[in-house]
Amino acid sequence: MENKNAHIQFLESGPLAPFKKWAAKWSLWPCHFITSCCGVELAHAFACPRSPQAPITLNLGISRQSNFIIIEGTITRKMARALQFVYGQMPDPKFVNVIGACGERGGIFWNSYNITHPSDIVPVDFFVPGCPITPEALLRGVRALQDKIMGIDRKTIEFKTVELPFVELEERKVPTSPKLYAPTPAIKVDVKQEVDWDFGKELADTIKKELNGLYKSVTITGKDRIAIRTTPVNLLEVARKLRDQMQLDHVKSVNVIEVPHERKFIVEYTASSYSVEALMPVLVTIFTEIGMKDPKIPSLTSVWESANYCEREMHEFFGVWFEGNTWMGKKFLLAPDTPDLPLRKEFKIPEERYVFEKDVTPEFMVPIEPPKDLYVPIWEEFIKDAYESDEIVVPIGPHHAGSGHLRVTFRIKGDVIVDAIPEPGFVHRSMEKLAENKLYIQNIPLFERLAINDPVNMNLGYVRTIEKALGIEVPERAQYLRTIMAELSRIEAFYYDSGIFSLFFGHTTGFMYCMAIREMIIEALMRITGSRSGPSFVVPGGIRRDIPDDVLKMIDNITFAVHKRMKKFEDIFVTNPVTVARAKGVGVLTKEDAIRCGMVGPFLRASGVNHDIRKVSPYEVYDKLDWEVTTGDDGDCLGRFLGRLEEIKESVKIIKQAGDAVRGIKGPILSDAILGEYKEAASDIKGSFFRVFGNLVLPRGEWTCLTEAGRGTLLFSLISDGESNVPYRVRVISPCWMNLRGFMEAVKGERYADFWAVYGSFGYFPPEADR
Amino acid sequence: MIDISGLVNLMIAEQVNIPLLYPIIYNFVLKIPVIGNIVAFLLGIPIIRYLIAFILWKPIFILLIIPGFGTLGTMLLVLPWLERKLVGRMQWRVGPREIAPRTRGSIQLLADSLRFLCQEVIIHKEAHKPYFLQFPFLYFLPVLLPLLFINAGTIGRTLVPIESEYALQLMIALISLMPVFILGVGWSSNNRFAFIGTVREAFMYFAYEIPFIIAILAMVILYGTSNTVGVVSAQTSWWNWGIILNPLAALTFFVAAVMATARLPFEIPEADQELAFGPFIEYSGIAFGLAYVMAYEKMYVLSAIMTMLFLGAGSGPAIPYVTPLLGDLYYAILFVIKTLIILLVMVNLRGVYPRYRLDQGLRIGWGAMLTLGLIAVAWSIVLGVVL
Repeated sequence: MENKNAHIQFLESGPLAPFKKWAAKWSLWPCHFITSCCGVELAHAFACPRSPQAPITLNLGISRQSNFIIIEGTITRKMARALQFVYGQMPDPKFVNVIGACGERGGIFWNSYNITHPSDIVPVDFFVPGCPITPEALLRGVRALQDKIMGIDRKTIEFKTVELPFVELEERKVPTSPKLYAPTPAIKVDVKQEVDWDFGKELADTIKKELNGLYKSVTITGKDRIAIRTTPVNLLEVARKLRDQMQLDHVKSVNVIEVPHERKFIVEYTASSYSVEALMPVLVTIFTEIGMKDPKIPSLTSVWESANYCEREMHEFFGVWFEGNTWMGKKFLLAPDTPDLPLRKEFKIPEERYVFEKDVTPEFMVPIEPPKDLYVPIWEEFIKDAYESDEIVVPIGPHHAGSGHLRVTFRIKGDVIVDAIPEPGFVHRSMEKLAENKLYIQNIPLFERLAINDPVNMNLGYVRTIEKALGIEVPERAQYLRTIMAELSRIEAFYYDSGIFSLFFGHTTGFMYCMAIREMIIEALMRITGSRSGPSFVVPGGIRRDIPDDVLKMIDNITFAVHKRMKKFEDIFVTNPVTVARAKGVGVLTKEDAIRCGMVGPFLRASGVNHDIRKVSPYEVYDKLDWEVTTGDDGDCLGRFLGRLEEIKESVKIIKQAGDAVRGIKGPILSDAILGEYKEAASDIKGSFFRVFGNLVLPRGEWTCLTEAGRGTLLFSLISDGESNVPYRVRVISPCWMNLRGFMEAVKGERYADFWAVYGSFGYFPPEADR
Repeated sequence: MIDISGLVNLMIAEQVNIPLLYPIIYNFVLKIPVIGNIVAFLLGIPIIRYLIAFILWKPIFILLIIPGFGTLGTMLLVLPWLERKLVGRMQWRVGPREIAPRTRGSIQLLADSLRFLCQEVIIHKEAHKPYFLQFPFLYFLPVLLPLLFINAGTIGRTLVPIESEYALQLMIALISLMPVFILGVGWSSNNRFAFIGTVREAFMYFAYEIPFIIAILAMVILYGTSNTVGVVSAQTSWWNWGIILNPLAALTFFVAAVMATARLPFEIPEADQELAFGPFIEYSGIAFGLAYVMAYEKMYVLSAIMTMLFLGAGSGPAIPYVTPLLGDLYYAILFVIKTLIILLVMVNLRGVYPRYRLDQGLRIGWGAMLTLGLIAVAWSIVLGVVL
C-alpha cells in the first residue's frame, strides 16, 4: 500500500514499455469477483446493447489469469478477506476499479457494522459512483483506466471557465436529525385487534383447547395473525402440538426482540402451514420472554427444521443460546472481526449528520484495519474425518467462477457430494440494524437493495407492512399500477436467474439472451420510475406519481417484444437436449422435504405445493385478474426452472390485463388518509415528500406482512413502540434466505457438477439472502 | 562429412510446384525500384539461396508454411478472434471491436498474447516447480508432431512431409500422448480444482480415445491402407470422400475430436464455472497463454486429420487459370479451407450447447460413440467386400 501506482510504473519501465502499455490497455481481463448487487449491472455491461462499447472481455477468468478486478459495491468484513486474497493471487500488473457508491465510503450502508472500504484493503485505480451504477458508467470507468495506463493525465483536461453572477444567499439552517426515539418504549408483540375474522376466533379456540395449560394467552393480533404467549419451558411442547395437531408445518421467521430497559428478550417463532389450505394465510406467532442474563431457550429445530438457519442468525445477532441447535457458538453470517452481538441496542452505530464539526474525522472517513487472516470456518475434525473416510474437501466461493458470493464447503466422495456446509454472509450489509436508525420512509431505498434485480417487490413488501399497520386503503389506480410494476419486477428477477442458470451450464448464449431481454424490462421500469433498478417508487398510500397513458402503451409493446424473444430463448436453451439432460431428475426436493425446509415461492410450487401469496391472501388487484398458479410435481431442477418460466407467461398475462384495466380507471394515486392536508400531491408526491411521510409513526405492536416476491414469499415484520418515528425492530426474511436450507438439502447426494444446476435452479441471489 | 551438394540437388529436384511464384518474383518484385534491387542482392548471397531452396523444398514447405506451422500460427491468431466474433453474433452482440475498429478487432489476440507475455508468472508454494514449468512447453511436442504426417494434396499430388506406411498409427500414438501432459500439468499444480480437473481429463481420455481409434480403424479398413498418401488417393472426387462412404465414422471422429479438445458440450475437464479451468487453474502469464493456445492447436491438428480422412484432403474442382498457376498451393489452400470449416463448426458449438456432466460424457463415450464406431467398422467391412 506504500506505492499506490507501482503497477503503472511497472508498465512504464524497460525498453518494451510502449508494447506493455498497449497490451495492458486492450487486454483487461476482469476476474470473476462479484461482491454485491452492482454485479447485476456488470452483467449488462457485457450483454446485448452495450457489448460494442465494452473494451473488456466477459469475466469468467479466475485470479491467476486475469489482471483486473471490478469491485461491485459493498465489501463486507468477510468479503474483505476474499478480496485481499484474490488481489494477492493476481499476477502483476493488476488494476482495480470500484463501482457503486458503497464501494467508496459505504453509500447507503455507510454506518453499517459489517462494511469496510475497498480502498483500505487494496489500491484502487478508479471509483465509479452510483447506486446502482449504470453499465455506461462502468464502461466509462474502464475507459478512464485505459487512459491512465497509457499515461494520459486527467489533470491535463482544460476546463472552460464561465463567469457566473454571485448571489449572496441568506444563511439557511441545516435540518437537524428528525428522529425521535422513545427512551424506554413499551414493547408488546401481542396487541389485541378487533377484526372481523370468524375463522380466527374458531382457530384461537381450537388452539386454546389443544394447548391446554401450555400457553399464557392467545391473542388475535390482526386478520390472519394469532399470537401465542408461552413460557420457555413449554415452548418445545407448544411447537410440537401445533405441528402435530394444527398442521403448522413450517416456520416463516424466527425473531428476537431485545428490550434492554426491561432486561429481557422476546423470542418469537412465526409458523404457518402448507398442508391445510385454510391455514395458509394464517401466521401463528409463538413467543416467549427470557431474561437477558444467560439467555437460553430450547431450539425448535427438532420440530421445525426450517427454523435452523434463522436460529443461527439470531444467535449471532443477539447472543440468545438455542439449546439443541448444533451451530451455537459458531460464526455463520458474520466475520470474526465484526462487532459481537451487533443487533443489541447497546451496540450503537454512527448516526447520520448533516454538519460535521471541524477537526473531527467523520466516522465514514475512519480507515478500517484490513484483515490479517483468511477465515474459513471449517473445523479440524471435519477435515480429519473427511480424510479418514476417503473423501475430499472442496470449498467453493466466494471467488469462484461458479459461485458469486456464497461459500459452500463440500465433502465429496468420488464425484458425489456427501455433505455441503453453507457459509452465507458475504453480502451481509446489516439492513435490520440500519433500519432501526432510519425513519420509516428512509428505509424504502434501503430494503430495495435486498435484491436490485427484483426491486419493486422488495419495495412493495415493506410498504405494505406500513400500510397494514396504519390501516390505509390504496386507491384503485395505484393498486393496478403497483401490480404492473411488481410483475415487471418479477419477470426481471426471473431473467436474471435464468441467465445465471444458463451460465452455470457454460451456456453463455442463454445468459446473453436473458440479459438482453432483461434490458427491455429495465427500460420499461426506467420509463415509469426514472431509475434502472432502484426505483423506490412505491410509497405508503400509493405510488410516487401517475403513469401517463403513452408509457402504459409502451409497457404493452415491451411485454409483446419480451414474449417474442422468450421463444428464442426457449429454442436455444430450454429445449436444448443437453440442458434437459443436465437438469432433469437432478436436485430433487420432495414435497415433504420442501415443506420441512420451509421452501417458499416457485421452488415450493415446483415440489407440488399449491401456495402463492398472491392467491392465498391476495393483495393489490391480483384477485380481480385472471391468472393461474403454476405448480409442478417433479421438484427437480428442470421443474423449478420450467415452473418459473410458466409463471413469467402468467405475469405477462397479468400485465396485459392490468394495463387494459388501468386505462379506464381515473383517480388519485395516493390515498387521502396519508396525504392529510397536502391534497395537491394526489397525483405527484414530488415536493411534499418529507411533509407527508417525514413523521410516520406506526401504532404499537408487531406488524407482519407477506408478499410474493420474484423468488418467493417475502416477510417483513415491523415492531413499533407507538411513539418513535423509527421502527424499534425490523425483521426481514427474504425468499432466498428461506430457500437456502432446501438448497443445501437438494445438493446432498448429487454429483459435484450438479451443484451448479441446483444453484441456478433455485435462483439463489446472495445479497437478497444475506440482507 | 555430409554430402551437401547431394542434399541441395535433392532439394532442388523436389521443389514445391507453384508456377505463379517465379513469374511474380521475376516480373513484378524484381522490377520494383528499390525493393527489387534489395531482393536481387539478397538472392545473390549463396546461403540465402540455399535457405530459400530449403524452404521451398516440398516436405519442408508443407511442414513450415502450409498447412504446417505457418498456417497453424495464423490460425491461432485468427481462430479465437473468429470464434469470439461468431459466437458474439449468435449472442446478439458484436464481440471484440474496440481495439482497431477498422479491422473489427482482429488484433485482439495479439494484445492478449502480448499481455500474457509481459505478465508475472506466479509459481505457488505447493507446486512441483520443475514439472509445473516444463509441462506446458513439453506439451507442444505431441501437439505439433502429427503435422509431419498430414497429406494436404490429392490424388497424383502428394503434399506430405514424411510418407510412412504407419502414418495413421503414428498420429494416433502422438495424439494419445497429449492427455498425459495435461495430467502432468494438473498433478504438478497441486490444487484441489486442478486435481478434480485432471481426474476428469483422465476419465474423458478413455471415453473418447477408443471411439476415436475405432473411427480411424474403420477408415483404414475402408481405404485398405494406413499410409496418408494412400488414404488421400482413395478419395478421388466428392462422391467417394470418407464422409459419404462412411458417415458414421465421420460423426464418431468429430464427436471424439470435440471431446478431445474439451469444447462444449464436452468441456468437462476445464469447466469454467465448476473448476475454473481445471488443470490450468494455477497457471498465470505466458504459461497460461500457452495452455490457452494449446487447445486451439489440438483442434487444428484434429480437424486437419478429419479433413484428410473424410473430406478428401486437398481434392476439389479445378478452376481454370487459377489451378495451373497456383499448382501445389491450390490444393494446400483447399485443404486449409476445409479444415477451417470444421474448426468453425467446432468453435460454434460453444454458442449452442451447454456442458454435459462427467458421467453423461462418459456414457456418451462408452455407449453411443463406441456403438457407432463399431457399426462404422462393420459398414467399412461390408463396403470393402462389395466394392
